[in-house]
Amino acid sequence: MSSAPLRSALHDRHVALGAKFAAFGGWDMPLEYSGGGVLKEHAAVREAAGVFDVSHLGKARVRGAGAAAFVNACLTNDLGRIAPGRAQYTLCCDESGGVVDDLIAYLHGDDHVFLIPNAANTAEVVRRLAEAAPAGLTVTGEHRDHAVLAVQGPRSAEILGKLGLPVEHGYMSFVTASFQGAELTVCRTGYTGEHGYELVVGWDDAAAVWDAVVDAGVRPCGLGARDTLRTEMGYPLHGQELSLDISPVQARSGWAVGWDKPAFWGRAALQAEKSEGPRRVLRGLELTGRGIPRGHMTVYAGETPVGETTSGTFSPTRKVGIALALIDTAPALADGDLVTIDIRGRRTEARLVKPPFVTPSVR
Amino acid sequence: MIPEDLRYTAEHEWVAGDGSGPVRVGITHFAQDALGDIVYVQLPDEGTVVQAGDSLGEIESTKSVSEIYAPISGTVVAKNATLTDEPEIINGEPYAAGWLVEIAPDDPGSVAALLDAAAYRALTES
Repeated sequence: MSSAPLRSALHDRHVALGAKFAAFGGWDMPLEYSGGGVLKEHAAVREAAGVFDVSHLGKARVRGAGAAAFVNACLTNDLGRIAPGRAQYTLCCDESGGVVDDLIAYLHGDDHVFLIPNAANTAEVVRRLAEAAPAGLTVTGEHRDHAVLAVQGPRSAEILGKLGLPVEHGYMSFVTASFQGAELTVCRTGYTGEHGYELVVGWDDAAAVWDAVVDAGVRPCGLGARDTLRTEMGYPLHGQELSLDISPVQARSGWAVGWDKPAFWGRAALQAEKSEGPRRVLRGLELTGRGIPRGHMTVYAGETPVGETTSGTFSPTRKVGIALALIDTAPALADGDLVTIDIRGRRTEARLVKPPFVTPSVR
Repeated sequence: MIPEDLRYTAEHEWVAGDGSGPVRVGITHFAQDALGDIVYVQLPDEGTVVQAGDSLGEIESTKSVSEIYAPISGTVVAKNATLTDEPEIINGEPYAAGWLVEIAPDDPGSVAALLDAAAYRALTES
């Protein structure tokens, strides 16, 4: 990765709003805003609407005759399940079943798929696809051609509708629209668990869209709140719940695998792991008392180590410490069972639960 | 945001009092701002004997955890019980209602040896 962090097209807007910045996958992105903070920003998304600059997310395009069939033979989920105009959560695995990245595939048609991978993994996903692509197909990285604004929350439809954007299309679908002369794609996607939209807009047009959304009363939200929101939903974050060492079977992301497809990267290894049963699976932990779990803390059943947390935080909605953890399957622990988490030397009691920690309202 | 009448440490704690009796300890505005929204505080019980530089407990924000260090040696004689349920008070009033503990110093002179406001200001501006 290059030494100088990349900046969003909206960097000056964030500076003007008093953002604190942090590094995300080689990008210098807003963590939280002055006058906001993670708790207020989190609450805005759960109760009203918030806007995130997620332009660090990657963008790549696969075009040419058979583009969709090619992507379908590489990535795990079954593009045959969706029609053009719809998006799908999918995984890019290696042949051992490890996860190179999780991403959203936007199906434009048989000859055109747009991909949004994670910032840090975009180059690798593009490299793998380009290497495998047959003649006649092009795989193009478009990381800095587009900005992505996520407008999320129960009031997002009302507010974007007033700006003249299309908002009535269904969950996980997308339509193109224009705003003040600029073309943009309005996707009914997001990673907060709320009804929301992701606006994919040309890099140089992003500021006008951002200004209009913020002027309409949507609170700017940083990636700190995005993390607490996604953790409450139990959504995986690559590098924590998914990685080259954590398979989708272990992460309980098997729903994003087209098991009946004849081919996708990692198929043999994942089929074998699925039929044998994974040695560990991702589960939720909710503290029974005070304290805040973080990632990489050991989980015990009695005195026996049974796993490790992958993410942990204070749940702003539930006001309790929550964590996701990879728990060994051998002890056959049930949801509701009590375990302890070693929080910097303090054994802290927690209950095994099935995520999400907060009921989603994405539709 | 750096009151003139307090003493400070390089770990961004403040101490109120001249050391002739128990002194009040908290974290500075600079520290609470850097931490972000504080959601959990762990403090030592009354009677705990601490050495300067020892861990006094932990403050956790939504993003991270931060150790609190004893600015002086002494005995903890009070802790701010309000923070158990309302830790966010530290963000709003770090120098007042958001105080953490009171320590009876072993050496009354130890307070005067801490940073004064000008020295702490220089530290945060460097």
